[in-house]
Amino acid sequence: MNRFVEYQIKLFCWISGIILICTIGILLAFLLHKGFSSLNLPLIFGETRPLDGLFLKTRVVDGLFPAIVGTLLLILTSIIWAIPTGVAAGIYLAEYCNEKWKPGFNLLLDILAGIPSILIGLFGFAVSVFLHKHLSEHIYPCFLISSLALACLVLPYIIRTTEQSLVNLPFFIKTTGLALGASRLQNILLILIPYNLSRIISGIILAIGRCAEDAAVIMLTGAVAMAGIPDSLLSRYEALPFYIFYISSDYNSQEELMKGFGACIILLLICVFLFALSHILKRRAAKRFAIHI
Amino acid sequence: MKPSIEKLAEKGFLFSALFSVSITILIFFFMVFFSFPLFKGGDIAKFFTLEWNPYESGFGIVPMMAGTGIIALLALLIATPFGIGCSALISVFSTGYFGRFLRKVVEFMTGIPTVIYGFVAIFLLVPFIREIFEKGTGMCVLSASIMLALLILPTIILFISNAFNAVPKNYLDAADSLGATPAQKLVYIIIPLAWKGIISALVLAAGRAVGDTLISLMIAGNALQIPKGLSDAARTLTAHIALIIASDYESPEFKSIFVCGLILFIFTTLIILALRLLGYLKILRNR
Amino acid sequence: MKKIKIRINNLNCFYKKKPVLKDLKGEMEEKAITTIIGPSGVGKTTLLMAINRLYESIPDCRVEGKVEIKLNTKYIDIHKLPVTDLRKKVGMVFQVPNPLPMSIFKNIAFPLKLSGIKDKEYIKEKVEQALKDAFLWDEVNDRLNDSALELSGGQQQRLCIARAMIMQPEVLLLDEPTSSLDMEAALKITELLKNLKGKCTLLVVSHYTSLTKEISDNVLTLKDGCLKITENSKIVDESSVAN
Repeated sequence: MNRFVEYQIKLFCWISGIILICTIGILLAFLLHKGFSSLNLPLIFGETRPLDGLFLKTRVVDGLFPAIVGTLLLILTSIIWAIPTGVAAGIYLAEYCNEKWKPGFNLLLDILAGIPSILIGLFGFAVSVFLHKHLSEHIYPCFLISSLALACLVLPYIIRTTEQSLVNLPFFIKTTGLALGASRLQNILLILIPYNLSRIISGIILAIGRCAEDAAVIMLTGAVAMAGIPDSLLSRYEALPFYIFYISSDYNSQEELMKGFGACIILLLICVFLFALSHILKRRAAKRFAIHI
Repeated sequence: MKPSIEKLAEKGFLFSALFSVSITILIFFFMVFFSFPLFKGGDIAKFFTLEWNPYESGFGIVPMMAGTGIIALLALLIATPFGIGCSALISVFSTGYFGRFLRKVVEFMTGIPTVIYGFVAIFLLVPFIREIFEKGTGMCVLSASIMLALLILPTIILFISNAFNAVPKNYLDAADSLGATPAQKLVYIIIPLAWKGIISALVLAAGRAVGDTLISLMIAGNALQIPKGLSDAARTLTAHIALIIASDYESPEFKSIFVCGLILFIFTTLIILALRLLGYLKILRNR
Repeated sequence: MKKIKIRINNLNCFYKKKPVLKDLKGEMEEKAITTIIGPSGVGKTTLLMAINRLYESIPDCRVEGKVEIKLNTKYIDIHKLPVTDLRKKVGMVFQVPNPLPMSIFKNIAFPLKLSGIKDKEYIKEKVEQALKDAFLWDEVNDRLNDSALELSGGQQQRLCIARAMIMQPEVLLLDEPTSSLDMEAALKITELLKNLKGKCTLLVVSHYTSLTKEISDNVLTLKDGCLKITENSKIVDESSVAN
């Protein structure tokens, strides 16, 4: 290889790296530049007094407050569905599953992890149609369906992080408890899980991030532009990602558009916060391993 | 702990696992169940025609398939050189401050919500594209591909750079001791050893590009036609599902989206099988 | 006549269908230190894991044959005991010290917790006794609530011995307990093992021959999948051949 070609390869790599960073920089700068001026209390609470809105005394009509609360509630509910199932299934795959069944489980889980989120949304929608026809007339796409669908979306991630963190433990750590006479379940609950807690939590937080950002699932399963804070599991609701999507296609005034930018920044902050938290926990888990080995 | 609790817990774990994998099967089942009446009617061939005209019972989804394919392919074409370049920079050329910074930026990108990419693109990229083509709205195949490329880049870069890092150190040491420059190491040692990783990254990224809804829904224009040029608007399968969902439950138009769903499901399965074949799924699961 | 604690008969061990131990026979004397030596990779660790059935958690590992342990004057097949009971009676210490990521106190008390003991005073007493037995009390009595991971390697290993001893096991298996430690720490462990001899039966896998010679009552050589009794005086020769 002559010097010139080498130089060109190197140059190409540097250029692509710099272009990528510039693109993201411009994207974020544009977002902040446009949306920064709209970041204030009226953006969130509209014309309602902030404290009244916060304590649900008055309904917030033209602020982002219902969408933010909707997103947070949605995250919370989905995670409540997904964590026990996901962690338990992860434990099963890592500790109990026999070799004959494992490939099947793995294939189905990999497919579930790879399924486009719109399909999960369509599935949730189909389930609600099915239930509407066969179970009760009152079931429509709603908060409950959305949270269940989102739980399906993040389930494979939680299962995988749990499984991997258990499987990747060094052999002597896995056997420490067993050698002391711990039963299988005791070993899992008292040693393996506490040992891996920060890793598992980091996976769960990433899953929360996916719940927070996903718009495809919720737009098929019950998110609407105007609903206020959901008062039951069967009611419709607002969420930030859907609000952003809605504004982008259907804004009537410059003011509304600015609110869209504000919503983007808030959603970005939520996601970046979750992402950073997960990163820090992962780091800490890695350090803990390093000390021990 | 009592043996009975032990047994109960094991049952619980098994049940959770079975429940989780049954979701996959259920999704497949629902797609088939809802699109079955159309299969049975024998007019399935109609779906694979060009016409989408619900009022005259033309439900061809070929334009959507073409839109999906073209946009995803274009996005991959744009993203691949950048992806390889950036991963080479991270893993080979700049292992120091800039490389680490770039990796951090890329990891950060995975945390940016898709809807934000779409939103910013509408007000930043779309007007720009409109200026260039001097016609149309700017919501076209090209805009969507560019944003989609940006969306799948982190997947590609992180995956490839992990594959690069997985090249055994002693091979690199051998090359170093023979006086190889970084570029020579990349071309003669790392890429030949990690080509499977590169292919896997692209297959995975193809899956993500086809499966993404928001970007194509927001900026591809959603026109019902087979795009003939970069400036044409197009509709993807995913966007089609999102757009049609609001219609009547019983209409064939509504049922047709389950055919789209079935196609996407089968596509996903193929992607996963391809990744298995390449043997790179382990890295994916470890991330 | 020697009292026999463990009897091994026709023990076969396979790893992925490859035999590791073949038709192994052997006996271990009660309340004595039996050392097993032999070239590396010959299956010494596997033998220990066959005795406390830890092999069951190694994928692809299979064990056939009979291992009997004397409990209250009767010999019982280890496969007939519940595995957790067996492991409480047969403690094990590993090559690399493996304290759990909790405080020193909690580490030692961990086996008690596994047995469901909640009496705080009793636990405290037991932990103190175990630490004293392991010559660790003087070094750590003022920082029992510190993380066990902050201890030095030698201290960690003694902590692991104390943790294994707190259930008053009848047999203690030690897998090269000193090989990851420096000379000074290794000597302390050796001293400790001598002291434990009266309390339980010790089975040590080792390749430190000078140490072996000093503390062992019996030495067994594991070679080609078979156990042979070796006279104490011949150990040096054996190892010089092996090396």
